[in-house]
Amino acid sequence: MSETKMVSLDEMDEQLIQKAEAEGVETMWDRKKAMKAPCGFGEKGVCCRICAMGPCRVSPVEGKGAQRGICGATADTIVARNLARMIAAGTSAHSDHARDIAHVMHMASRDGNYTIKDERKLLSLAEEWEVNTEGRDIYDVAHEVAEIALNEFGKPFGTLKFLERAPEPRKKIWRELDIEPRAIDREIATIMHSTHMGCTSDAESLLKIGMRTALADGWGGSMIGTVFSDILFGTPVPRETEANLGVLEEKQVNIILHGHEPSLSEMIVMAAQDPQIIKLAEEVGAEGINLAGMCCTGNEVTMRHGVKIAGNFFQQELAVLTGVIEAVIVDVQCIFPSLTPITDCYHTKFITTSPKAKITGATHIEFNEEKALESAKSIVREAIENFKNRKKEKVFIPQTKNQATLGYSVEAIIKQLDRVVNSNIDPQGTVKPLADVIKAGVLRGAAGIVGCNNPKVKHDYSHIEIMKKLIANDVIVVTTGCAAQAAAKAGLTSKDAAKLAGKGLQAVCELVDIPPVLHMGSCVDISRILTLVGETAKHMGVDNCDLPVVGVAPEWMSEKAVAIANYVIASGIDVFLGVEPPVMGSAAVVDMLTNKLEEMTGAKFFIDTDPHKLSAMMLDRIEEKRAKLEARLGKEIEYGITRAEEEEEGVKELA
Amino acid sequence: MNLFNVIYAGSNQALSAAEGLLKQAIEEKGRDHKVVFPETAYSLPIIYAATGLKMTTLADLEGAIGVVKSLIVEEPRLEQALNAGLATAVSAEIIEAIKYALNETPYDAPCAGHITDATIRSLGVPLVTGDIPGVAVVLGKCPDSETAAKVIKDYQSKGLLTFLVGDIIDQAIEANVKMGLELRVIPLGYDVTSVIHVVSVAIRASLIFGGVEPGKLAEHMEYTKNRVPAFVNAFGPLSELVVSAGAGAIALGFPVITDQVVPEVPTLLLTQKDYDKIPATSLEARNIKIKVTEIPIPVGFAAAFEGERVRKDD
Ligand code: SF4
Ligand code: SF4
Repeated sequence: MSETKMVSLDEMDEQLIQKAEAEGVETMWDRKKAMKAPCGFGEKGVCCRICAMGPCRVSPVEGKGAQRGICGATADTIVARNLARMIAAGTSAHSDHARDIAHVMHMASRDGNYTIKDERKLLSLAEEWEVNTEGRDIYDVAHEVAEIALNEFGKPFGTLKFLERAPEPRKKIWRELDIEPRAIDREIATIMHSTHMGCTSDAESLLKIGMRTALADGWGGSMIGTVFSDILFGTPVPRETEANLGVLEEKQVNIILHGHEPSLSEMIVMAAQDPQIIKLAEEVGAEGINLAGMCCTGNEVTMRHGVKIAGNFFQQELAVLTGVIEAVIVDVQCIFPSLTPITDCYHTKFITTSPKAKITGATHIEFNEEKALESAKSIVREAIENFKNRKKEKVFIPQTKNQATLGYSVEAIIKQLDRVVNSNIDPQGTVKPLADVIKAGVLRGAAGIVGCNNPKVKHDYSHIEIMKKLIANDVIVVTTGCAAQAAAKAGLTSKDAAKLAGKGLQAVCELVDIPPVLHMGSCVDISRILTLVGETAKHMGVDNCDLPVVGVAPEWMSEKAVAIANYVIASGIDVFLGVEPPVMGSAAVVDMLTNKLEEMTGAKFFIDTDPHKLSAMMLDRIEEKRAKLEARLGKEIEYGITRAEEEEEGVKELA
Repeated sequence: MNLFNVIYAGSNQALSAAEGLLKQAIEEKGRDHKVVFPETAYSLPIIYAATGLKMTTLADLEGAIGVVKSLIVEEPRLEQALNAGLATAVSAEIIEAIKYALNETPYDAPCAGHITDATIRSLGVPLVTGDIPGVAVVLGKCPDSETAAKVIKDYQSKGLLTFLVGDIIDQAIEANVKMGLELRVIPLGYDVTSVIHVVSVAIRASLIFGGVEPGKLAEHMEYTKNRVPAFVNAFGPLSELVVSAGAGAIALGFPVITDQVVPEVPTLLLTQKDYDKIPATSLEARNIKIKVTEIPIPVGFAAAFEGERVRKDD
C-alpha cells in the first residue's frame, strides 16, 4: 500500500456530491449552504429559550448590549445552562442505549436468540458486584447482574458501582468535588431541573452538575453498554476488515447497518448468515448479501464480526447515492432524517426499527427483541426483495477502500502486550508493558481520538492530520466512533501504517504486533479507554491526570460528544476540541473550561479549530505531563543509574 | 528519571573523552600517525560499516568525531536516543583505536581487546549452524565472584560465546572459570570502551557473512538484529556511559538485561534481580532456543569444553 493511498482523503465525497448535483438530489452540503451564516447568539451559547418569557438573547460582550435575560440570567448562566443540557442529552442517549442492552441481558436464555457469549466477563462482573455464582446457572447469574445494572439507572441511594474501578486518587477528587454520580437517570433529571427557569444561576455549580452527569455516562451508561455488550455478544479480538464505500458490492444485496445498538445489528448479522435468507438472495439474482456498517453500530459489528465499514457519519447520504443500497437499516442516534427524501430518489429502503427513533416517511418495521432473530430476518428479507428494483443507470460505486485490523478491546490489547512479557520476570495479563514504554519514553504518551464529523471542518481532515502528527511523534493513538472509521478508511488502522510512526511507536507496533492507531470500538466503548488509562494509572500508582494522555474530538458535533468530553475531563484527562463549543459568549465559562478546571480535576479543555495547532498543543501538553511524571517517578523509584556528578567512575572508565 | 537524558549524558561523556584523547594523541604523535587495528581488512569496522570510510590516520579520526556529533541529537524520541547509543559506540571505537595507535599491545592476557578477522571467520560457521546458539556480553561487576561464575558457566554449558568486560573478568578468574576462545569465554578488557570489540565482531559478521555494503548503516543494523543472536548483561551500578552504550546495543538489536532497577523497555531493557534467572531471562529476551538438551552431569558439558585440555593436576 503506498503511503499516499494510505492517508489520502478520498475524492469520493467529491465524486458523489457531484453525482447528487447531477441527479438533482439534495445533500447536507446543500443544506449547509442554505443555512447561510449561523446565528451568532446560538453559536456563542447566549440564547435562552427555556421559558415563555423568552426567547432571550444576551450580548456575548461584557458591558455592551443586553446583559441579562428577562429573568435576570447572565450570559454565564445561560451558557453554562445550555452546556449542561447538552451533557444531559448526551448522557441520556448513551444511557438509554445501555439500558436496552441490560434489558436484553435480562431476557437472555440458553435457548433464546440472546445468549451469554463471554461467561468469564460475566463471572468477573458478578464477583465485582458481589453476586453469588457458586453452583448457580449462568443465566440466573446473568439475570441478577442485569437487574443490578438496571437499578443503576434509578437507585435511590448510594453512588454508581463502576466508580470503584477508578484509581484511588481519582475517587478522592470526585468525592471532594461532590461529583460522584448517584443514579444515571437521576443525574439527567437533576440537570433538567437545575437548568429550569429560576433554578441554578451559578456557572461553576452548573459545570459541576454537568460533570457529575457526564460521569454517569462514562462510568455508568457507556460502561454498562460496553461491558454488557461484550458479555452478550463477545469481547472483541483482533480481526481484519475493510473500510470505505468501496466495500459495497455491485452484484450483491447491500445492506447498510446504521445507528448504535448491537442488539439489533447482531441479529441482522445472524440473519444474513441464515441459509434460507442466503438462498432468497440467490433467488432474486444476487451473488450474496453484503452487510456494511456505518457509525457506531458499524463499529460494534466490525469489532465483533469483521463486518466491513461503509463509512462514517458524513457518508450516510453518500452511501445511498451509490445507488446500490437495498436497505439502510437504522435504530437510534446520528441518523439523518434526510435519509427519507434521499432514499426516495433511489430504490433504497429506509427502515427504522426502534420506537425511540421513528422517522416520518421511513418504513418502520419495529424490532421485536422477544423474537429478535425472526424480526431481523423479516427486515433482511425486505432488503433482499428490493434488489430487483435497483436502477442500473444510477449505480456508481467509488473504488476506494483500505484494509484495517481492529477489535482492540482492553482484553485484546493486554493479550497483545503479553507477547513482550519476559516469563522470567513478569506475569502475563497486565498493562505493565504499556506502562513501561510510557515511563521509559519510548512512547511519549497516548491519545484517544474520538468523535463525529462536522461540516465546519473538512470531512475527516482533522482526524487524519492529528493522528498522523501524533503517531509520527511516538504518541500511540486509540480511537473510537467516527474518528476510528476515518482512521480505518485512511489505512491508519492497518499494521502497515507503522511506517508512518516514529521509531519508538514503530518499535512498539512491531514487538506487540499492532497498528499504530488502535480501533477500540463505538462511542460507548470510550469506556474501554477509561478502563485502559485507569489500569495504567493504577499500575504506576498515580492518577489519570498524571499520565501523558490526552483526549481529542477533532470534528465533534453531537451532544453525546459533549457528555463524553466532560466525563473525560472529570476523569482527569485533558480534552482537545477541534470545533468550538457554544460557550464563547461567556468569558467566565471559557476561563473555567480552559483554565480553572485544571485545579479541580487535573485536566482542562484546549480549543482550536486548526488541527495542526491543536496537535502541536497536544504534544506540548504531553511533554509537560511527562516532565512532572518523570520527576515524580525518579523520586519514588531509586533507579540504578549513577549520575556522573555523583560518581566520577563514568569518566574514569574512559581513560 | 529521564532515560533518554541519561543516554545523551553518557554519549556526550564518550564524545568528550574521545575528543580529549584524540587531541592528546595528535599532540604526541602528529596528525599523520597511523591508526590501525591488527589483522583486519575492515579498518575501524564500526566507522567503516556506518560511513563506508576507512580510517588510516589520526587526522581521519577528527572526521569521525564529526560523525559522532551528528549522531547526538538530544530530542525526546527513541530514534535519537538509539542514534546517540550508536554515537557512543563510534566514540568507543575511536578511543580503542587510539589505544592501538599509541601502544602496539594495549591489551595483555587474559584480555583479548581487538578480535581478528580470522577469529571471526572461524566463528562464522558455528554461529550459522546454531552450534553457537548465542553471544553473551557480560559487563560490570556481580555482587560476588561465585555469582559471576555461575552466570558465565551457565552460558558456557549452553554453548554460548561469552565476552567479558570490566571487573567481572577478575571475578571470573577468582572463581576459576576457564577462559579462552576454544572455551568460548573471552575477556575483552577492563574499560567499558573495550566492549566495542564485540560490537566490532557483530558488525564484521554483517560485512563478511551478510555481504552488507559498507556505509549502509541501517542494513547493518537489520543484519545484526536478525542474524547475530547477541545480548548484554550489565551488572552492578550503571553509569550514564554504560546506559548509553546499552542504547547502542539496543540499536543493533541486542537486548540489555541488568540487575539494576532501570526504566524497563519490554524485550529490550529488562531488570532481573534474581541472578539464577539471568540466563533464562536473557535467552528468552533474545529468543534463543538451545538446541541440545542439557545433560545432567556434574561438570559443565558442551561444545565449549571441546578444546579444553585436561591438565595433569586437574
Ligand atoms: S429563563 Fe430567563 S433568560 Fe431564559 S428565556 Fe426565560 S426569561 Fe429568558
Ligand atoms: S462519533 Fe459522533 S457522529 Fe459518529 S456515531 Fe458517535 S456521536 Fe454519532
